[in-house]
Amino acid sequence: MSFDEQALIEHVVRQRWYGAKSRGVAHAQVLDSVIVRADEPRLALALVEMRYETGAHDVYQLLYSLRGGELEVDDDVALARELVLTLRTGTTLYGVEGTVEFHAVPGFAGLGRDPAEVRWVGAEQSNTSVVLDDEAILKVFRRLEPGVNPELEMLRFLTEHGFANSPPLGGWYAYSGGLLVATLGILQTFVRGGLDGWELALDEIVASPDQFLERLRRLGEVTGEMHSVLASDPNDPAFSVETPSVETLGLLTATVDEEIERVFLELPDDDELAAIAGRGEEVREQLRLLTHGVPAGRVIRTHGDYHLGQTMWADGDWVILDFEGEPLRTFAERRRKRSPLRDVAGMLRSFAYAASAVSFLRGAEAPDGWETQARTQFLDGYFGTVDPSLLPPGAAAERLLAVFELEKAVYELRYELEHRPDWVSIPVAGIVRLIEQPAAAS
Amino acid sequence: MPDRWFEREPLWFKRAVFYEIHIRGFFDGNDDGAGDFRGLIEKLDYLQWLGIDCVWLLPMYRSPLRDGGYDISDFLSIHPDYGTVADFAEFVEHAHQRGIRVIADLVMNHTSSEHPWFQESRANRDGPKGDWFVWSDTDELYRDARVIFVDTEPSNWSFDPVRGQYYWHRFFHHQPDLNYENPQVQEAMLDVLRFWLDLGIDGFRLDAVPYLYEAEGTNCENLPRTHEYLKRVRAEIDAHYPDRVLLAEANQWPADVVAYLGDAESGDECHMAFHFPLMPRMFMAVRREDATPIYEILERTPAIPQNAQWGLFLRNHDELTLEMVTADERDYMYEEYAKDPRMRLNLGIRRRLAPLLDNGRDEMELMHAILFSLPGSPVLYYGDEIGMGDNVYLGDRDGVRTPMQWTGDRNAGFSHADWAQLYLQPLMDPVYGYQAVNVEAQLRTPTSLLRWVARLIALRKEHPVFGLGTYEPLRSDNPRIFAHIRRWEEDVILCVHNVARSAQAVQLDLSAHAGMVPEEMFGRTSFPAVGELPYLLTLAPRGFFWFQLRWPAR
Repeated sequence: MSFDEQALIEHVVRQRWYGAKSRGVAHAQVLDSVIVRADEPRLALALVEMRYETGAHDVYQLLYSLRGGELEVDDDVALARELVLTLRTGTTLYGVEGTVEFHAVPGFAGLGRDPAEVRWVGAEQSNTSVVLDDEAILKVFRRLEPGVNPELEMLRFLTEHGFANSPPLGGWYAYSGGLLVATLGILQTFVRGGLDGWELALDEIVASPDQFLERLRRLGEVTGEMHSVLASDPNDPAFSVETPSVETLGLLTATVDEEIERVFLELPDDDELAAIAGRGEEVREQLRLLTHGVPAGRVIRTHGDYHLGQTMWADGDWVILDFEGEPLRTFAERRRKRSPLRDVAGMLRSFAYAASAVSFLRGAEAPDGWETQARTQFLDGYFGTVDPSLLPPGAAAERLLAVFELEKAVYELRYELEHRPDWVSIPVAGIVRLIEQPAAAS
Repeated sequence: MPDRWFEREPLWFKRAVFYEIHIRGFFDGNDDGAGDFRGLIEKLDYLQWLGIDCVWLLPMYRSPLRDGGYDISDFLSIHPDYGTVADFAEFVEHAHQRGIRVIADLVMNHTSSEHPWFQESRANRDGPKGDWFVWSDTDELYRDARVIFVDTEPSNWSFDPVRGQYYWHRFFHHQPDLNYENPQVQEAMLDVLRFWLDLGIDGFRLDAVPYLYEAEGTNCENLPRTHEYLKRVRAEIDAHYPDRVLLAEANQWPADVVAYLGDAESGDECHMAFHFPLMPRMFMAVRREDATPIYEILERTPAIPQNAQWGLFLRNHDELTLEMVTADERDYMYEEYAKDPRMRLNLGIRRRLAPLLDNGRDEMELMHAILFSLPGSPVLYYGDEIGMGDNVYLGDRDGVRTPMQWTGDRNAGFSHADWAQLYLQPLMDPVYGYQAVNVEAQLRTPTSLLRWVARLIALRKEHPVFGLGTYEPLRSDNPRIFAHIRRWEEDVILCVHNVARSAQAVQLDLSAHAGMVPEEMFGRTSFPAVGELPYLLTLAPRGFFWFQLRWPAR
């Protein structure tokens, strides 16, 4: 099957999932393609290499159909349906340079019959998703990275090791060839009627704050269980618990310290920043106190991008979503083992955002001391559930947690200064809280 | 084929910061007293934090180690002290996961006399490997070729009693030169390259490349057939191994070295070559408090192909080589930097960066700043980022190859073996010893040399101009100032360095940039706008400024 190169470039560049809009494309070519359905209308998928003027390149997954010999490069729902049906059969399709293997997880309910209703839902930076009968969701990765997609790896592990609070994996398909080994798409349970954790927070912080605090205690427990499960298999090298190298904390401290130095160097004159203006040295001193002699605990695979927006409340419990990690980092970086407390810090910072967003977005005020209570509830749930051998002992865990919170808050400060100056008060308050609490006693 | 974690970027090496590692001295992963690949894997987090782009490994192959591993007795295996080929492949994989590339030393010119090829060649002159080495009945051939290791080798020929003939060696007598006239030798070495490239290695630092071929009536260096063979190697790389790099070690004048980068337009030989004469002149400039030697050597440096790059360094595992200076300059360097004769080796000075600069922090920063500002890719030598010292009482070049000093704890945190078991003991003197100089303490100290070097690397990586831009010297009336401008696309960088130990003022003619505002790059402070008149700057002793020239916001 041949494409006109210019038409191919124009098509790919037009897509929402095309990530390199500012770069000049020098060439495009189909690296490999397989026929998903041979009957009319014929359906196929192709790996397309976009080569830029700088000599760099990206590979994209393209789905297309052929009707009566006419090529339609389109995200056709029929194609998504066909992909799911093929997944169920566990077939291997052969291209010229490699193969596309389809895998189904046995017993996955959503695979049991022909999906009747199929709809595309929002496209993200590098993937598109389709929902089938409100039961299953197929995520199609568009810009491909070599290696196992961390989201597939995480969902598979959590599903196989019985974690009850993530949507079970239904199947996946992947390309394997001399040019590239890459995950192309994954199928998982669609959480029906779930309430987005972030939206729920904004609603309930004002309407029923106590009920939400109860929910957060449960979220702490679920998070603790998630980390315990992720640390439960010593025989899987991708997930086994590790002791970090002796420099780990020194490297982290140096990195955060440089970041503090940088962001305070360029701090603009602004009333919103008054509480931290000129206090860069204090922040650095606090970092030194927090990290002095603190053990680093263990490192495990983590969620990696953990906040309220990655959770859902459904059928009376929390569901944790989006295990892909931070999208801007490489697969290798996202697969790195880290302290579980990094996830915890991410979630605690998310509570600070929720407490303020209630006033920014809803014009209401969170009850006095709500954030502190939220932290307490969540941490009580977490520390009561998580495998304690993963954390530094006793109070050292809270000190290490404060280091990760500081890292996060400093990152947020820089981000908000650049993108949302109106929100800058949130990280400012976070930093003030962290420098004003005694480092040693916490 | 192992997964490659990089976006294809053929010119990556032009923007890279390299870091040279002596595997034996970096970290001991199996508690036997010597560094190894397991240990290297454990320290990748550190290298990633430091911000380096590419590790250059000193020779890792099986070897009797009579020349630091440059005497290879099996090109296709790893020295057992360092691990196995599988360990090596795992190291490369882990490095790639962190976005770090790996190149390794490879000696193409010669083997160890223990290599089976040589043993076969000496045992059977009519056998299949009979002429894989350069044999002769007389030691009268090629008399115009200089002896490189003048301290130990009387001649380039040694007599082999087994075969009853002389064999040719440009280096030690236990390192017989391969005979590249033989097509089988040419093929065998290409197979060696392919073996490691298939394991995922990102390239080679080709040791001693000028000496591959010999010819009567020449000095047997840089011969056309040597270039021809290297072009063949490059063609093989380009055809089958994109994004890999060949770095030539040709200790020659830049005008001769440029030939190793190939055709001026297409750059069809090595991707990179070391710039040897620059480094002694930087030391000379700082000692004499006169920037002229730096300006001059850069003036004498010819243009290179657009797809090639210089490798620049302050120090490396070898002695500070003084082959590429005049006899007067050499005497001067010896006098100033190697007062103790133990510090001299062959035509060079064997010392690390910090002791060469009397442990002066300003001097170390200044030298790094000059190096990082010049057109080329900087190559750091392990341990110099924390200002490690040397031990001039150790034999050969071991004095600059002591264990990396990780912590102030036992064995400098380098190994869990017994002290007596260590391949070399870490330095213990009060100034450079591991209790004073170590990674752990410097990581914790924001004002440490290590933290400063990491910042410098980060700054350089933010600005492609340092790797890709043009170089325009900016002479002034003050000979103590080394100033120049780098330019790439919209980025214009002004670098001004004071090589004197006293404060200096300088007036620079920046009229071509009138109206632009210099912004100091470390602290982001704006300086007064450039006008038509000479631009006045004052610099602290051994101080420097890097400015980005910007148009003022309207």
